[in-house]
Amino acid sequence: MAAIELDGVTKRFGDVTAVDGLDLTVAEGEVFGFLGPNGAGKSTTINVLLDFVRPTEGSVRVLGMDPQRESVAVRERTGVLPEGFSVYDRLTGHEHLEFAIESKDADADPDALLERVGLAGDGDRKAGGYSKGMAQRLALGMALVGDPDLLILDEPSSGLDPAGAKEMREIVREEADRGATVFFSSHVLGQVEAVCDSVGILREGKLVARDSIRGLREAVGTGATLEITAEGVTDDQLDAVRDLDGVDAATTDGTVVTVQCDPEAKTAVIGTLEDAGVVVDDFATRESSLEDLFLAYTEGDAPGASEAADSEVEA
Amino acid sequence: MSWEAVARKDFRDAVRSRWLWVLSALSVLVFAGAAVGRLYVGNGAQNTQGLVQGFLFFLKQGTAILIPLTALVVAYGAITRERESGTIKLLLSLPHSRDDVVLGKFLGRSAVVTLPVLIGFFVAFLALLPAGSGVDILVYVEFALLTALLGVVFVGIAVGVSAAANTNQQALVGAGGLFSIFWFLWNFFVSGVNRAATELFGLSNPAQFRLRLALKILNPIQAYKTLVDSLFMSGLEARVRMFSMLLGMIPNQQAAQALGPELSPLFADSMVLLAMLVWLVVPLAVGIVWFREAEL
Repeated sequence: MAAIELDGVTKRFGDVTAVDGLDLTVAEGEVFGFLGPNGAGKSTTINVLLDFVRPTEGSVRVLGMDPQRESVAVRERTGVLPEGFSVYDRLTGHEHLEFAIESKDADADPDALLERVGLAGDGDRKAGGYSKGMAQRLALGMALVGDPDLLILDEPSSGLDPAGAKEMREIVREEADRGATVFFSSHVLGQVEAVCDSVGILREGKLVARDSIRGLREAVGTGATLEITAEGVTDDQLDAVRDLDGVDAATTDGTVVTVQCDPEAKTAVIGTLEDAGVVVDDFATRESSLEDLFLAYTEGDAPGASEAADSEVEA
Repeated sequence: MSWEAVARKDFRDAVRSRWLWVLSALSVLVFAGAAVGRLYVGNGAQNTQGLVQGFLFFLKQGTAILIPLTALVVAYGAITRERESGTIKLLLSLPHSRDDVVLGKFLGRSAVVTLPVLIGFFVAFLALLPAGSGVDILVYVEFALLTALLGVVFVGIAVGVSAAANTNQQALVGAGGLFSIFWFLWNFFVSGVNRAATELFGLSNPAQFRLRLALKILNPIQAYKTLVDSLFMSGLEARVRMFSMLLGMIPNQQAAQALGPELSPLFADSMVLLAMLVWLVVPLAVGIVWFREAEL
């Protein structure tokens, strides 16, 4: 059984389409990284899973249940670190955890949880005095109460320093080893790369890639990133490059053209640009990183992306 | 039960707010201070019969405005403030249904409002003890309970409004609007409906009074006042008093004739109490249904 199943989910707020026909399945026990730039629709998708908002179209199953009709049952088995939350200013960290334990009817030790999320010693302080990172740790502690089958973490690293982000990833690892499914959103690939089995990349409400981390690595392993210094390249000129065999993506920031391609396609790329009347001042090649691929998917025009995504989603 | 956890958390949270302590201090000051002033400075201690009554009569005018206002202020943001700050996401990440959140909030805020009232009354009660007879004490306890009920009714109204509203500001406008209707506009509404009905159906004079009484009882503040009056006088006298002028000092003879000599069971204390309970249940139910559909 899939832990999360989204089928043609669309969410519109007035004229704005936040999520657009999203199909996504996350298997039980999978650690899934949900990537995309801010505003891509990640939090809206998560809010649909939690029944904070209702989809305009499409169907949703979480742990085999309908999150709208069986909302409480879903949340009994789910630990959530929501986005854009705040803590109860007048309650202590300890009291927050007690409330989560009471709410989930769980048998957990608040002090052990505080220790686990790195808040040992701060439990008796009022949460109103916590920093953003401490509030984030506290909410993670509340999410862990009762050993949930599914963890939904929305941008869990925000507000954490690098050491804190690393601790958070270790906790995700431990939970995954316990057998929990983890659904983990981030706009930073680096947060996800180290812990996730697989990722999906969301862009403007649509899934543009769905693959295992290994699959992505293989995809970029053969590729190269070509950086060409050339002023004022037009979109038409770039289209000529995109039409070439072996070219995945081509973008420009006005002074530098960045092309994702097979190493063999390099000469053709430069030649095509020059034929189109572009003056190439300089160029450099390097091996592509996952980050390049992620940026190509989320920032560039990535013409190949949607085709690739379609086949990968179906796979 | 899930609403219990929410209520306990909400109360625990609210107890930390200065509000509760300011309210408690204020109600002790008002209730006990008024008791002491009335008893020992005012009439002197010769006429113990009716002293507690006189005190409560005087106090009722204050509680009828203070308690609803306090309840609305304490509870109008119960849901909307959590939505605006984002704590609702933490709350609804836990396995609480939305219905349980509204009910838990209602219970938590009810405790916040009734506790200072009961503390204030208890202190006043101790102050009155030397002067009161056994019968008076019972009347006094009933008065305290009615006042607490008035607080709970208005917490229900405010939490209902808060659950139905999308923003804190909407909730404030809604709660303030309802209070103004109950306090300032209700009698205009009563006479308006009466005039229209009289023109349409040619109501007799007694029928007009009965219609006006029924409409007045539907106002929870007026219902509270007449129930308090019923503690010292017959139901008929208490209802007739609703038509009198100048805080009951000028009785309305016409109303007495129209509604008497026997008060219809339709206007008995139990029916008035029922009207108050309707105001407890209906806004809360409406709020619960609206909140089910809300997008957070």
